[in-house]
Amino acid sequence: MALLEVKNLTVEFGSEDKPFRAVDSVSYSVDRGEVLGIVGESGSGKSVSSLAVMGLIDFPGRVSADALTFDGQDLITMPAKRRREITGKDIAMIFQDPMSALNPCFTVEAQIMEALKVHEGGNKKQRRERTLDLLNQVGIPDPKSRMTAYPHQLSGGMSQRIVIAMAIACNPRLLIADEPTTALDVTIQAQIIDLLLKLQEDSDMGLILITHDLALVSEAANRIQVMYAGQLFESGPADSIFAAPRHPYTQALLEALPERSEGHDRLRTIPGVVPGQYDRPQGCLLAPRCRYANEHCVKSRPEVTDFNGRDVRCFYPLNDQGQPTGLTADTTTGETV
Amino acid sequence: MLGFLFRRLGDIIPTFFGVTLLVFFLIRLIPSDPILMMAGERGVDAERYAELQAQYGFDQPLIVQYFDYLMGVFQGDLGKSFVTKKPVLDEFLTLFPATVELAVMGILFAVILGIPLGVLAAINRGKWLDHLTMSVSLTGYSMPIFWWALLLIMFFSTTLGWTPVSGRISVMYFFEPVTGFMLIDSLLSGEKGAFTSALSHMILPTVALGTIPMAVIARMTRSSMLEVLGEEYIRVARAKGLAPMRVIMVHALRNALIPVITVIGLQVGVLLAGAILTETIFSWPGIGKWIIEAMNRRDYPTIQGGILMIAFLVMAVNLIVDVLYGIINPRIRYKR
Repeated sequence: MALLEVKNLTVEFGSEDKPFRAVDSVSYSVDRGEVLGIVGESGSGKSVSSLAVMGLIDFPGRVSADALTFDGQDLITMPAKRRREITGKDIAMIFQDPMSALNPCFTVEAQIMEALKVHEGGNKKQRRERTLDLLNQVGIPDPKSRMTAYPHQLSGGMSQRIVIAMAIACNPRLLIADEPTTALDVTIQAQIIDLLLKLQEDSDMGLILITHDLALVSEAANRIQVMYAGQLFESGPADSIFAAPRHPYTQALLEALPERSEGHDRLRTIPGVVPGQYDRPQGCLLAPRCRYANEHCVKSRPEVTDFNGRDVRCFYPLNDQGQPTGLTADTTTGETV
Repeated sequence: MLGFLFRRLGDIIPTFFGVTLLVFFLIRLIPSDPILMMAGERGVDAERYAELQAQYGFDQPLIVQYFDYLMGVFQGDLGKSFVTKKPVLDEFLTLFPATVELAVMGILFAVILGIPLGVLAAINRGKWLDHLTMSVSLTGYSMPIFWWALLLIMFFSTTLGWTPVSGRISVMYFFEPVTGFMLIDSLLSGEKGAFTSALSHMILPTVALGTIPMAVIARMTRSSMLEVLGEEYIRVARAKGLAPMRVIMVHALRNALIPVITVIGLQVGVLLAGAILTETIFSWPGIGKWIIEAMNRRDYPTIQGGILMIAFLVMAVNLIVDVLYGIINPRIRYKR
């Protein structure tokens, strides 16, 4: 049994009769020691789905799922108090912007010790020792003097290390890192990712790495989940997705990578933006931006299907040569858009 | 911290000059003559009038009078009251505790009620509790003090008979003031029922005076709290698995209080201004009533001295607020 099991997770905002689905029937699972990469553009529902796993979606947001279990325990029906015992202890999360993730009014020490106090108890001395350990572990130089520092006295990279120390304080079994490097300098980015992967390996944690940096997940993740406008578009093992994307969106994302643009004058881009609340297309959500879309795609929405052992949400999944399959005479009545 | 204090003290000096300047010249713009006021209906003849003018220094040019006054102030001499002939400072110090007592109770009422109301409104944003608290506080804010005080007296004192109408304590109790604070003195006196009497006299003035600051504090707390609750670190705190109560009371409130503290400091000025009305209505023997009476009699030294002392007090309170601000907000404390 997987550590985290998510089946048809849906998160809705807005009125009951006309809801906006920020996350639409997304399923995935993460095992011990596994790294799952969730990729997608801004607004694709990556963060919202992980907040739902953490139980941090507030009213008026609504979370529903066929199954949302952690280590066999149902997170949805669980009482709030019991769930808080898991949140922060067994499942921890790292947020995007370290500079705003730390409370400006409390010292580093107080903020890390707080998590320890809530979940592990122990006395102040033990907690302080553990905090010092943690700061060492996340590579903070001169940790002793940093203990009593306030967040505004720390740099971005340093803050992110503190945030990581805070997250791993209670030895979580699953760590969700929501774009942990987006707000940091490029040089610091690599260090932080290395740190995360090392911690993950050392303690055999499950790690969900949410990012829009494909190059990053290609190195770090075992499996990849491509999301778009709240829907799962493609998922499968990292190396095979990179070798042969089955979904036109994945293909376009990969082509947009600078290292794959050799021989082109400009970087290739995907025209348009992710549809928001008010401009959702009636058919496939990607249809307005997809180079292969036809009338069928515009009119009806594809479901997730199994294609060569990969979950793909497309009527015409790509073959190894990157060409759409299943385009037959009766389906190609319209011009490709 | 010490440097910070000295810098703030330095800021007070020009403000102090400004206040003396304003008070001194503004009073003299009021069309009337203190000597004629003192003479009353009998009036004075021209010779005696000139004599009195010379005695009070009114025959000197205004600018000379001002510097004379200023020199006095620097030596701790606020002059003597035209009416009672007693030193203004002595009178002030005698009456001051009554006002402080009222002001402290007023601000306590405002803070103790205002902050929880603001927090409640913020965490119930958009629900009926939010609407209720905010409309009540808007009503409180819009109500003129004298009108509100009269309504309170009419309802609680006259109709229900729950509280006394005016004064600080029932006339049946008498004891020598020790601290000047009636609540404390009545306890120290050991007389049975004295404290209850003092307390019941305290209630309506406190409510009348504290309502506007309470409304301001509640609204400020609400908006500040709402802003803070949207911050990322609140989400992080919740992601630690903390109980909602702890997230709100520790992580959110501490940050939300920063602007509220400033507002509380500013309200002290409003409170002292309000005390003038409140004291007049409730016959509260404090400096508010004293200044109003001095104004009616054109008692220049008393008005000047009283206002100067109030201004000084407001500055002192704001200095304390600035220091508090540094304690609650580490980002200010460490700024060089």
